[in-house]
Amino acid sequence: MSDASPPLTQDRDEHASAPACRVADFLLDLGAGLLASGAHTGRVARNLERVAEAWGYRMELFVTFTGLMVSLKSEVDPTERVARFRRVPLPGVHFGILTEASLLTWRVAEERLPIGEVEQRWAAIRKLSHHPRGSVLAGIGAACASLCLLVGGDWRNAGVAFVAALTGLFVRQEVLKLRFNPMIAFVTASFITTLIAGMDTVFHLGGSPEKTLATSVLYLIPGVPLINSTIDLIEGNIPTGISRGVFGGFILLCIAVGMSLSILLLGLHNF
Amino acid sequence: MEILVQIARDLLLAFVVAVGFALLFNTPRRVLWVAGLLGGAGHAIRFLLLQHQVGIIPATLSGAVFIGLAGIFMAHRVHTPPVVFTMPACITMIPGLFAYRAMLGCIRITDLSTAKQNPEVLAVTVHYFVITASLLFTLAIGICIGALLFRKRSVKSMFRRTF
Repeated sequence: MSDASPPLTQDRDEHASAPACRVADFLLDLGAGLLASGAHTGRVARNLERVAEAWGYRMELFVTFTGLMVSLKSEVDPTERVARFRRVPLPGVHFGILTEASLLTWRVAEERLPIGEVEQRWAAIRKLSHHPRGSVLAGIGAACASLCLLVGGDWRNAGVAFVAALTGLFVRQEVLKLRFNPMIAFVTASFITTLIAGMDTVFHLGGSPEKTLATSVLYLIPGVPLINSTIDLIEGNIPTGISRGVFGGFILLCIAVGMSLSILLLGLHNF
Repeated sequence: MEILVQIARDLLLAFVVAVGFALLFNTPRRVLWVAGLLGGAGHAIRFLLLQHQVGIIPATLSGAVFIGLAGIFMAHRVHTPPVVFTMPACITMIPGLFAYRAMLGCIRITDLSTAKQNPEVLAVTVHYFVITASLLFTLAIGICIGALLFRKRSVKSMFRRTF
């Protein structure tokens, strides 16, 4: 028994022999992770298909806004088949996970990585950290200040927008940490931000205080759900497209509610 | 000369906006600069078109489509899905001011006597609402321009045929 005569099918068997249950569980985990990180339906389908094909399975996938269903059938052994379902949490945004998952599935397709190694790598990707909190806060403050300058505010307006956005994002992170409903976090953050951003209107600071109010809440805009909704609709995934659109629209409504409360409190609508 | 300074200012500010939102979206650190560059360039294109009396919707569409196409090109270079930097780049053109005015209009309409005294508040509010929705939609088109124009199912396989 030397290395010179390995069975021809050994390589293929090794992958096909990953049991359907285990592959399905991994695919659901990967899919749920992608959806929770801000992937649209088409991206999830492409990533999972790549993996399923590499391991010798035919996959059928059903993606909804709150759940994921996958059914697998082995290309080698037709009796090896399984269907599984899993709930997914509300989508957030983590493009780092999206990138690494995409690279991982390409490696599975090209190098035929075995399932054990892929599961380990995916577990490491799931633990991928966020950017340091301080730099995110400073970055968002600077971004909203720059947006204020771009629409024609002056330096003093931009300064107020910087403080307002930074404080608002901090409040939102803290509210989310306390495990409140995510929509409450949006209302609270936009309320606090607008309260601070209204200060240059109240104290007549800078040339165009209206610009501060308009731009300092923009860090809350649900850009990812709204854009993903459009992509889903374009690609024909109508149910998920509608769900994402409603989700994004409702977040916009929450932002408007928080802002309105602030504006009415400060009496800004009479200016 | 003056216009060059203005374009540079516009590009620089949009760069900061795109990088800030890329940080919020957890775009990998090695491609933050791509997001900034695309955001700056896209916004500068829109600025230039607006200076030449192009309407705000076609100007925004041009900027967003540029970001989408350049994003596909860059995605191949840096091995990341394009959305990772086209999304923060397009946020630079988000119609915040119009959305704010539409919302303020809605607050005014809740008071019936204001609406009756000053009926044009209705027209103004609807106008800002429609323009906000249109601009958001043009940004979405820019980001998924790849899915619209190319029949290949992923950006990576588009470039693969050349090997």
